[in-house]
Amino acid sequence: MTDAESRADGDDETALDRILEASPSRLGVGRSGRRPRTASVLSFRADHARARDAVLTRVSEETIERAGLHKITSRVSDQDEYLARPDLGREISDATVTELREACIHAPDVQLVVCDGLSSTAVDANVGDLLPILIDGLEERGFTVGTPLFVEFGRVDVMDAIGEELEAEIVVNLIGERPGLNTAKSLSAYLVYGPERGKPTAKKSVISNIHPDGLPAIEAGAQIVELVATMHEQQGSGLDLE
Amino acid sequence: MATETPTLTSVGIDIGTTTTQLIISELTLSTTGLGAVNVEIEDTDIVYRGTIYETPLLDHQTLDVDAIADLVTTEFENAGYTPASIDSGAVIVTGESSYKTNAEELVTRIAADAGEFVVAAAGPELESVLAGTGSGAAAWAREREATILNVDIGGGTTNMCLFAGDSVVETRCLDVGGRLLRFDTSGTITHVSVPAAQLLETAGLSLDVGSRPTEGELHELAALMADVVFETIDGSGRSSTTKALTIGDGEYAARSLDGVCFSGGVGQLIASDTDTETFAYGDFGNFLAAAIRDRLESSPLAYRSPNETIRATVIGAGTQTTSFSGTTVSLDEDVLPLRNLPVVEVSLAGTDCTSLAAEVCRQLEHGLALHETEQLAGLAVALPDVGSLSYARMQTLAQALTQGYVDAGYVDTQLPVVLVPRQNCAKALAQCLRASSSDLSPLIVIDEIAVSDGDYLDVGEPMLSSQTVPVVVKSLVFGGQ
Repeated sequence: MTDAESRADGDDETALDRILEASPSRLGVGRSGRRPRTASVLSFRADHARARDAVLTRVSEETIERAGLHKITSRVSDQDEYLARPDLGREISDATVTELREACIHAPDVQLVVCDGLSSTAVDANVGDLLPILIDGLEERGFTVGTPLFVEFGRVDVMDAIGEELEAEIVVNLIGERPGLNTAKSLSAYLVYGPERGKPTAKKSVISNIHPDGLPAIEAGAQIVELVATMHEQQGSGLDLE
Repeated sequence: MATETPTLTSVGIDIGTTTTQLIISELTLSTTGLGAVNVEIEDTDIVYRGTIYETPLLDHQTLDVDAIADLVTTEFENAGYTPASIDSGAVIVTGESSYKTNAEELVTRIAADAGEFVVAAAGPELESVLAGTGSGAAAWAREREATILNVDIGGGTTNMCLFAGDSVVETRCLDVGGRLLRFDTSGTITHVSVPAAQLLETAGLSLDVGSRPTEGELHELAALMADVVFETIDGSGRSSTTKALTIGDGEYAARSLDGVCFSGGVGQLIASDTDTETFAYGDFGNFLAAAIRDRLESSPLAYRSPNETIRATVIGAGTQTTSFSGTTVSLDEDVLPLRNLPVVEVSLAGTDCTSLAAEVCRQLEHGLALHETEQLAGLAVALPDVGSLSYARMQTLAQALTQGYVDAGYVDTQLPVVLVPRQNCAKALAQCLRASSSDLSPLIVIDEIAVSDGDYLDVGEPMLSSQTVPVVVKSLVFGGQ
């Protein structure tokens, strides 16, 4: 190999590093003969296991307790039913309705809901930083904040049922997103003005990709505060916003 | 929801050693990603390429500010634009013009008159980067993941910028240009600049104002200048002549180049095959260009044709200076735009609130001492790393920053508090600061902008429903230091 060629190889290596840095995808993993390298297979399986864990494990009691969340359950009774019956994940039982009316602040400006959704890992990873900055910010702007709830086996639209029963003006639902192989920690915030059962998705606003490598939880918290203020001012959410 | 693609009308004005130029471009913005995470310039369309004027001088030390202002007015009229229709852009004083006694006064005045958010800039490093982006070298390197050196040779200085992939590796600047010597139409020398005198001495040529050099003598001098340029392109083993003409420390990275690009007025002469009349521009440019063409023929360097030559710097200034903050910012909008904010970098490595506050205070005091308070619009505090993005950390930082700003006496100056964290935490930090104290007001927090000590920052008025602000990170270096 000539000097010029070896120098050119050196330059290519830094180019590859830059490409690898630019994306979390599995690039430049190499191969062994016709098969992937052992390390690639292991990291792929580990990430897949993490994604399965995110869906199949429960949010830790510690997270719920530390964040001061009041825990309720949707009409789903176990994990299999949760995956098979999305409709039940959107509803709460009559008993739960009664419980909410007795235990929770009635008709708050903003009702906060946390759902496990499809990633308990996302809730464990983000809620501890997001909730306090969100609550601080809402109170700083003079909003009354309802009793923060945790919904086990909750889907996005469970916020409509809860908001309708508690007569909240605005509901914020922080829910774990279906995990991928890059991160299992992604949380989304769905927001609705004037919640009622059956409200179309188009009337909801969303801030997504809340995780350490995406939108940081604290910044998402402060961003939700501003979105709530906009929704309150314009009396709407989703496509109703200008 | 966005109903139309947002555009910016941007002006670029370059006041160089030899020429003064103006261009106007329409920049099309795009917001990428769901939830609009980034605002970027997607497309640039140069709608007006102005006349190339000789830079008006009062004497060898002084720029004719009034005449230059008139040129700008004329150019706006020719283009069919008014300063009121201009959204952004930059006025840069380059080459030997930046050494003139009234260079700072000039750019400040022209920038203020040229439009809403037109910034003043100067400095050989910035000039080098702008020339390299304007010539097309930067795009060439980015698209091919290649390493390319753009060499912009103007009247007074040579500004090189080394691009590798999408990054700027370094800049290299020399006091070498086509107008170090000036001639009348008969070929008699009318002006010898300081660097030219050094070169003449090295070459052993006893030429001065009034003498009429032979072609041979001129070619000898041009060859010497070309040596200086090529030694700098090579980056190693430089002669004492080259060192004497180098601006800056002259410590360069050793890199193999995939290509070299020549822009600037002399770059244009290098690119053109036909020899124009020897003293067409009353200067030395043709001789220098011929000497460089000779060198290129025998050099292993791969010459890449630039997209732009003489207009490279002005196009860079007009299209590449403005960038956009992250889309989550916190702004007391009444104080915007803010111009020429010196950047002070604060390292927030500690965990203890008292020591963090002391560090903030120390850097602010230093920054205030460095800059005259009457002319200062505020200090921009760069926070390269705020640590973990947790609720507890933000609370600590808010307390420490408030304490630091109070202790340094900054809040008594009534200047706006401008914070520039590198990480995406502007809204969260601002919220914590407002909760912590009402002392820090007005408050501007913008994120995801890379700034460091010695830079200057301009912040424009918010765009796209206050989601983002146009910002310019630049240098203001006069006198060739």
